[in-house]
Amino acid sequence: MIKNYFKTAWRNLWKNKVYTSINITGLAIGLASCMLIILYTKDEVSYDRFHANAPNIYHVVSKMTSPEGNVSKMGSTGNRPGPAFKESIPETKDFVRIQQSNFNVKKGTDVFDEEGHFTDGNFFSFFSFRLKEGNSATVLSDIHSVVINEDLAKKYFGKESAIGKTLEVDPGNGFEQFIVSGVAKNSPENSSVKVKLLFNMKIQQRDNPDNLWLNFFQNTFVSLQPGVNIKAVEQKFARIYEASSEDEAKNAAEQYGLKDKISYELQPLLGMHLDTAYVPDNGLYNASDPVYSYILTGIALFLLIIACINFINLSIARSLARAKEIGIRKVAGSERKQLIFQFLGESFLLSFFGFVFALLLVVLALPFFNEVSNKALSFSYLFDIKLIFLYAGLFIVSGLLAGFYPALILSKFNPVDTLYGRTNYTGKNYLSKSLVVLQFALATFLIIGTIIIYSQFNFLTHYKLGYNDDNLAIVKTGSIDAKKVNRIAEELQKNPAVVSIAARNGGFRSTSAKIDGKEINLAYETIDKEYLPTLQLNLVQGHNFTGENSFDSATSAIVNETFVKTAGWKEPLGKKIDFFWDSGRIYNVVGVVKDYYYSSLKETIKPQLFTMDARSGKYGQLWVKINPANTASTLQFIQKTVRMALPLQPFQYEFKKDINAAKYESEQKWKQIISFAAILTIFVSCIGLFGLASLAAQKRTKEVGIRKVLGAGVTDIVRKLSMGFLALVLIASLIAVPAAWWVSHKWLQGYPVRIEISIWIFVFALVLIVTVSILTVSFQAIKTAIANPVKSLRTE
Amino acid sequence: MLLNLKKVFKWVSVGGARTFLLKDIDLEVNEGEFISIMGPSGSGKSTLLNVIGMLDGFDEGEYHFLHESVHKMKEKQRAQLYKQYIGFVFQQYHLIDELTVYENIETPLIYQDFKSSERKAMVADILDRFNIVGKKDLFPTQLSGGQQQLVGIARALIAKPKLLLADEPTGNLNSKQGEEIMNLFAELNKTGVTIIQVTHSEKNAGYGSRIINLLDGRMENELKQ
Repeated sequence: MIKNYFKTAWRNLWKNKVYTSINITGLAIGLASCMLIILYTKDEVSYDRFHANAPNIYHVVSKMTSPEGNVSKMGSTGNRPGPAFKESIPETKDFVRIQQSNFNVKKGTDVFDEEGHFTDGNFFSFFSFRLKEGNSATVLSDIHSVVINEDLAKKYFGKESAIGKTLEVDPGNGFEQFIVSGVAKNSPENSSVKVKLLFNMKIQQRDNPDNLWLNFFQNTFVSLQPGVNIKAVEQKFARIYEASSEDEAKNAAEQYGLKDKISYELQPLLGMHLDTAYVPDNGLYNASDPVYSYILTGIALFLLIIACINFINLSIARSLARAKEIGIRKVAGSERKQLIFQFLGESFLLSFFGFVFALLLVVLALPFFNEVSNKALSFSYLFDIKLIFLYAGLFIVSGLLAGFYPALILSKFNPVDTLYGRTNYTGKNYLSKSLVVLQFALATFLIIGTIIIYSQFNFLTHYKLGYNDDNLAIVKTGSIDAKKVNRIAEELQKNPAVVSIAARNGGFRSTSAKIDGKEINLAYETIDKEYLPTLQLNLVQGHNFTGENSFDSATSAIVNETFVKTAGWKEPLGKKIDFFWDSGRIYNVVGVVKDYYYSSLKETIKPQLFTMDARSGKYGQLWVKINPANTASTLQFIQKTVRMALPLQPFQYEFKKDINAAKYESEQKWKQIISFAAILTIFVSCIGLFGLASLAAQKRTKEVGIRKVLGAGVTDIVRKLSMGFLALVLIASLIAVPAAWWVSHKWLQGYPVRIEISIWIFVFALVLIVTVSILTVSFQAIKTAIANPVKSLRTE
Repeated sequence: MLLNLKKVFKWVSVGGARTFLLKDIDLEVNEGEFISIMGPSGSGKSTLLNVIGMLDGFDEGEYHFLHESVHKMKEKQRAQLYKQYIGFVFQQYHLIDELTVYENIETPLIYQDFKSSERKAMVADILDRFNIVGKKDLFPTQLSGGQQQLVGIARALIAKPKLLLADEPTGNLNSKQGEEIMNLFAELNKTGVTIIQVTHSEKNAGYGSRIINLLDGRMENELKQ
């Protein structure tokens, strides 16, 4: 019996190649997207699972509650919690701290900048990172030992064994010699902790002793006894913290006005990667947001559902052709159950082909998908016993989803009706129609989404930031003073291609200051007098800094307009700003700069303050404006000059424009994902519509023949055949437009700088979807309309 | 006695008014009979045939088939009964286009759970009997009308039914092919198969032992030969 089913199914599929290929293509696309998403999600949830003790490892995180009840959360802690908790809480078996830093490493005469970490000596027994060479128990026991990964071993020592070799590194206070005591295997992709360059924490404690609770700069992990009550342990943390930090907290409250209450919480290592409350950063990597998994899963399921809708619609539309067969089989003694199995068999056969093609598609699409999703997934991931079960499940679900309803409908046919041609095929078929509406509503929604994301992205990347970031190279210098800046600037200016040179501190800093007794938060930068002109920033009031060493510059500050607004000043010039946490630092406002987007357009402009005061820290970057002609040789010149002046500093530069563009990377990714999803959705929906239209046209061949005999023209007939479908597409867009408006409105609210949602976006989307569907539908309609009526009437 | 119908009525309600398709049908059929049902278009011939074949129900009356009360049965039991005892032949042959001659004939056996080896023997036997061994791997569209109907009859007979129901079996055939089919029916009847056919042709009706005339769903008269 199975053989007979299979044979009919096979011949049926073969005979109707158009529908078969529509169904297989659609299912393959839907299944392939589901497979990719399963891979993606599997990778997401596999993070940090490879540690043998993973279920008992927790990340100690800090929660700050202000007196007003505002909570801020961060994954960082200081030096104290780890040792303190281990000492007095028996449930805490062990701890390890990881502090990220950048190190200058010498190789011959070259100096490279490498990212690495300070950590405790038990790192390799705490985690399950594998060492290629070295003893995991003792590898970090010496203060002058260093562990490097395979990549670095290759970079610095080539093919030779690195063990026992000397590496000259500057851990912060000048170069020292370290002995390579271990080479670690490159850390797995799905690891939040990465072994790059590991130093003993004692180095850091020797150079920068810090025994404060109220300092948050590194990650602390603890391993607990299995099965302990986490809440109880957290409470013990709180008691210990409160008992031993009393003086410190009092001091902080008096000196810095820090009134927040600190508490420590435990974040399971296995949930860390996808935790958006305590984001794993500051030396932990690849933090992710589960929302990506949700959205991608949603898109994949949409595609699969749309493909299944195609299958359902086409099967029902084709029931006309199958009706006779069903009648005959019933007369020959088939029970309804057997027919249901037969039709399910067909849908399973189709899903099977879809499945095979889906595998092919996954192989082809994987590199692209990796790029978009920021992953390094490989095809071999597919061959995992759990995944194979999951795919088998997916296959069965899609087979059932697509086949069950048609099987129920088709098997219900009354044999007498079908054999005597009495079946009423011209039913309203609301189900098919609503499914088509659903498909096209989704497609329209995604088209609008794509257009909105594109426009917003375009808007962001072309928005005037309020300063000129053209041809502006930022060169990292390490800590240097004004004198050094001047010396380098003098040298650089000898090249006419260098337009101007400014200095600024490295990184972004923020702090709080008192104004008229009121505390405000602000971003502050140490700059020189060339900074504002180099960025072509306009002063709306007052003047720029005048000279580097004058008393005037050291006590002056320039603020932005938002600062003035926040302070509530009418007449800002001459007003005083008190950096109360560093006594005696009071600045006079000498100028007001026009607001500009100093960070990203995704953030609102906050109060900003510039000073040239040496107390506010050294310079760390040179901003060099260059002539765009001959950029390469100018950069070479800059490199030569800077290296001469700063021999121990690896030459690193970036163009401000690139840095700014990189801020919209996630938008860029979403743009790709959504537009790809939109294209696939339209494609799968349209092949379905194509199939439906051609079946409808086939069904109405006789009607068209009669109409033509009665004198109808081709256009009349095409209109007649296409109108029904177009009406569905229009209804779909009417549903999609408000939904798309609402979602994009919500999304855009997240951007201080955003496009207006113009009516034209919707008009454009509608025109697009209607045009595509007209092309799809009318292709068949025209074919039917120009057919010779004599032929069509005779075949009836 | 093979079957009997007692006071069978069948109607459809259109806007409250009943239109009778079958009206007060009393019919007894003995094993070995060859009955022809005649009457003008719309007189209820096919309906009566379908009621007898259990493909269609009725609204009032009783139907006994081999001493079982068909009117009291559930659909599943009825299907069980007809697939074992009744074979159907149609004017439009109604072969499955996707299956070969061999497979078409084999289909009823599959639904009656015959083993593969049994099926093979039975199909081979009937192909041989009908002289269509050479056509067994062809598809219906590759056959002439007469050949298709031959396959249709072979399929109806493959499970050795007691009753063969034929709805205008020669309606789509030319006179020579029609005559061949009718001769085949007569022969089958001689071997003990009970046959009920619907026909328009007086000549074909003449092959049977009894003619039933229907008019507007009512049995007009019965003619025994």
